[in-house]
Amino acid sequence: MKQNQKKAWLYLAPTIIFVTFFSIYPILRAFVMSFQSGSLINLNWTGFSNYQYIFHDPEFWLAIRNTILYALISVPVALAISIMLAWLIFSKVKNKSFFETTFFMPYVTSTIAIGIVFRYIFNGDYGMLNFLLRALHLPAPNWIDDPAMSVTTIIIFGIWTSLAFNIVILMGALRNIDPNYYTIADMYGASGTEKFWRITMPQLVPTIAFLLTMNIIAAFKVYTSVYALFNGQAGVGNSATTAVFYIYNKFQIVGTPGVAMAATVVLFIIIMFVTFLQRKMMKKIGGR
Amino acid sequence: MKKIRWGVVVAYVILAIFAIITVFPFIYMILGGLMSFQETTTIPPTLWPKNPQWSNYAKVFSQAPFGRYFLNTFITASVTTIVSLFNALLGAFAMVNLHFKGKHFIQIILLSLLMVPGEAIIFTNYSTIAQMGLLNTYIGLVLPFLTSVFYMYYLQSYFGSISKTIYKASMIDGASDWEYIWRILVPMSKGGLFTVGLLSFISGWNSFLWPLLVTNEDSMRLLNNGLTAFTSDSGSETQLQLAAATLTVLPILILYFIFRKQIIRGVVRNDLKG
Repeated sequence: MKQNQKKAWLYLAPTIIFVTFFSIYPILRAFVMSFQSGSLINLNWTGFSNYQYIFHDPEFWLAIRNTILYALISVPVALAISIMLAWLIFSKVKNKSFFETTFFMPYVTSTIAIGIVFRYIFNGDYGMLNFLLRALHLPAPNWIDDPAMSVTTIIIFGIWTSLAFNIVILMGALRNIDPNYYTIADMYGASGTEKFWRITMPQLVPTIAFLLTMNIIAAFKVYTSVYALFNGQAGVGNSATTAVFYIYNKFQIVGTPGVAMAATVVLFIIIMFVTFLQRKMMKKIGGR
Repeated sequence: MKKIRWGVVVAYVILAIFAIITVFPFIYMILGGLMSFQETTTIPPTLWPKNPQWSNYAKVFSQAPFGRYFLNTFITASVTTIVSLFNALLGAFAMVNLHFKGKHFIQIILLSLLMVPGEAIIFTNYSTIAQMGLLNTYIGLVLPFLTSVFYMYYLQSYFGSISKTIYKASMIDGASDWEYIWRILVPMSKGGLFTVGLLSFISGWNSFLWPLLVTNEDSMRLLNNGLTAFTSDSGSETQLQLAAATLTVLPILILYFIFRKQIIRGVVRNDLKG
């Protein structure tokens, strides 16, 4: 009874039309524009010169370096903290939904608004954080105005914002683990640590791999939190510039869309590569 | 006598510390928005404003058109949510219940589009909108977001769990597809549609980069863009910045506390993706 119900295209039409114009066409156009120079209204072919430009641009390398640094530190740290918190909520606490609701708050709130609060808390002179650090006789760096600190500041803020999604997804995964495993482990007198490493962690592997992919992709696109923390700048003297900041700057401020699109293509390839790598890894782990 | 279980105590202490770290910025934002200028810059920092300065809010509204920002944000977030939900509903229905040539191909295209980072297409979309002369218009603000492959995929998994025999039975009863969608599919998946709608509205409310690109007139700004413009203009008046930030966050926080169960459940279902 295989039939060809042509009316399906009617129902899919709005999606297909919008997707063609605002998802597929812009990707192709970005690729084309990366080989063009000039302003948006007057573009002409220049071959690979935009790519040559960005690969010789120290600012581009700083942006890539900062982005990778941010991803490599904030993602694993946030994930480790999330696993610990989710496991504690799941295994030790009665009113789980209270903590879940609390920890999820940052996910729904505007990064811009909360970034403004963090800028205040991070303030070198009268900020709450440095007040606490001084009270504990710890060094109180100038989080916002010291170029050497700006990437660290973004990383801390990045960890704070990404806990929410991780914890809630991990809680969902923990709830899906067959409780019989724990019952049997209890019968054999397994300790809490043993249960965690022998039952919980192996069961969480697919979820962790999923979160790792999502977090790394999000980390490569970091922009809004930097904008909010440094009041529209990429840190003092562009010290905290990121890939998307670089693209925005070249596109909108400097007015060289070709260069911006070349950087976009590079970022796009990096993200695709990470996704691909992670899928491969997941298949390997899954097919053990 | 009960034995104290130290594991549980330690767990509560760790959770309490992190819960405070999570909630503190929100509380500090609300309190800071009610402080006087002196209170925000004293050392040691003020935690509790002595006399709540409600006038901060009046100042915020007089210095920037926040009412207009609210209206703009509400309109764009609502329109995006309603239209994209409608499109996703029709598309997901076709993908789940209908058989047609090329279905597999469409599915592959849509799934690979899920992996495309929005930041990679946002700038070329900007030039499309600019060429169409739609900068600083509501249409320009919403147009690229009127369809969401992600929500369509989400609804597909939701509709997939509704038995196909219901569709067949209603066809035999002589219902049209259109009737099936509105009389059976929508009422049966109200929960899912509502959750998707909420998530879409929240992300529309919090959108930043796209409105930053396509609007430069103050009257067309959305809340988050108005907020950043306001913070750069108001310079060092932290208490006003915090009051403005509170205005931006509070509506969503209220929405979140009312519908926290649906929102969290909706997000957890997402992890099927990928």
